[in-house]
Amino acid sequence: MNVLKVSKLTIALFVLPCLLLYVCLVFVPIIVSLYTSTLEWNGIGESKFIGLDNFNKLLFHDAVFWPAVRHTLMFAVFSMLEIPIALFVAILLSRFVKKPNFLVSSYFMPVILSVVIIGQLWKTIYNPASMGGMLNQVLDWVGLGSWSQQWLTDPDIAMYSLYFVALWQYLGYHTLIQFTGIQNIPSDIYEAAKIDGAEGLKADWHITLPMNVPIFKISIVLAFIGSLQSFDMIMVMTGGGPGNATDVIATHMYRMSILSMKYGYGSAIAAILVVVCLVATVVINYGFNRLERKYT
Amino acid sequence: MSQSTTTAALPRIKPQRKFSIGKTLMWILLSILIVTQLYPLLWLAIYSLKTNEEILSGQFFALPHVPQWSNYSSAMESGNYVKYLLNSLKVTLITMVGVLFLSSLVSFAISRFKWKYGQAVMVLFLIGMMIPMQATLLPLMIIFKNIHILNTHWSLILPYIAFQTPIAVFILSGFMKSIPNEIEESAIVDGADVFRIFWSIILPVSVPPMMTVCILTFINIWNEYILAATFISTERLKTLPFGVYSFVSQYSVNYGAIGAFLVLGALPVIIIYFLLADKITKGMVAGAVKG
Repeated sequence: MNVLKVSKLTIALFVLPCLLLYVCLVFVPIIVSLYTSTLEWNGIGESKFIGLDNFNKLLFHDAVFWPAVRHTLMFAVFSMLEIPIALFVAILLSRFVKKPNFLVSSYFMPVILSVVIIGQLWKTIYNPASMGGMLNQVLDWVGLGSWSQQWLTDPDIAMYSLYFVALWQYLGYHTLIQFTGIQNIPSDIYEAAKIDGAEGLKADWHITLPMNVPIFKISIVLAFIGSLQSFDMIMVMTGGGPGNATDVIATHMYRMSILSMKYGYGSAIAAILVVVCLVATVVINYGFNRLERKYT
Repeated sequence: MSQSTTTAALPRIKPQRKFSIGKTLMWILLSILIVTQLYPLLWLAIYSLKTNEEILSGQFFALPHVPQWSNYSSAMESGNYVKYLLNSLKVTLITMVGVLFLSSLVSFAISRFKWKYGQAVMVLFLIGMMIPMQATLLPLMIIFKNIHILNTHWSLILPYIAFQTPIAVFILSGFMKSIPNEIEESAIVDGADVFRIFWSIILPVSVPPMMTVCILTFINIWNEYILAATFISTERLKTLPFGVYSFVSQYSVNYGAIGAFLVLGALPVIIIYFLLADKITKGMVAGAVKG
């Protein structure tokens, strides 16, 4: 229960500076972009009101848009696939390793590096062997030279090369989160389970999994946010190319608006991006509320 | 998520003979992960000390014959490393101070004041957590162009502060709610006003969550690339990630120098991580709770 009774002026002094800045820079832009999404406008000259034409064109006549949506969702799905791996590693670390913190912090290292460093590092690794690329050199060295690929310039492979970098960077984050979750499960639960005859993997199945449900939610939200952040990584590594092979929703928006100066069309894509985020958050929350009710 | 629990929760199983195969497999798995997660970084460090010939020779695991420190000096000379570093430092520090100041004021109001709209303000911040910064890229660019702050550091600092406040308010107000009410009740009896209560009572005890906010802000803003690359075009205003990117695209054939610049770009964060690994991992877990 809040107790401080204060004047309206005091409330304004405490709340308004932050709230105004926040509303002006987060909500006003979204509203501006809803408005500009109804225009045909190159950012400089006259703008023309065209109603929902941009959305119509985007949803039904844009060959790049739906593949970009698919790539964005695939990013999230791939990131979610590594959650079980992270959980397994976290269980191993907390159960069998005496000083797990060193390993956890080592796995975490790639998470804190800038996407530019990560992107350029992997671009260098993916380079053809003749340009010093490590991956193809390793393949040559172990005698699998025929597996060498144009990892980032072959349209059929480039997207998977990008998924992999995201998986690599975020594995440590998911491991850390699952690990912290397991550490927070009270140990007397395991002791009680031991008396009832549940030990080892059986105890993990009946205790660790259900007790970690809230943690899975965090991981899944993180995987989803990560799939949005893949935007920066793609801009650094391929810029959406070759062709449109690695476009996600946000890179499509960036190329249309900032590079091609179709501001109205770009705003329509941005609006869709916001809707996708809001829907995903609601769906994730709804799903987990049901799960949590079942297990707690 | 509680931050204080450090004790291992799972009962450790004492090493037994029958477990040895499983344990060996486990250590193999954990070591493979160490290699996949850290070797690329080590490889980059070695790469940055090689000559172009050594890099192209295919001997990816070989150490450089003579460490080419000249790669570093050419990276330092031809790229404005120090300038980028100082710009990043400036932008990140101002953002951090701004986020801490503004969000602690609001958090105090939300968690301690008796007023009607506290919950509504909180909901507004929670909604903001779901809005991706990328969606505001274009409108912000138009707005900033109109108020003539495009291509200045303010065009980065202002949105950085705005997009970091939701998680900061979430963390800080959560903490401040847990401070017992008796503290300010007795302070009121002693004649302290709201500002005093905020400044001398609530802020000092809120230092731990403020550290968390600092760490999150630092990692997110220090590494931010896309806003910087879109809003800044003047060479001397570039922040480190953008600077690294432009250097790499300009010197695309001097492999060693590119490697050196990447290492230099990663170095500040890695040094801080070595010093504060524990705090950073805890802060990042707290930051992941959003949503």
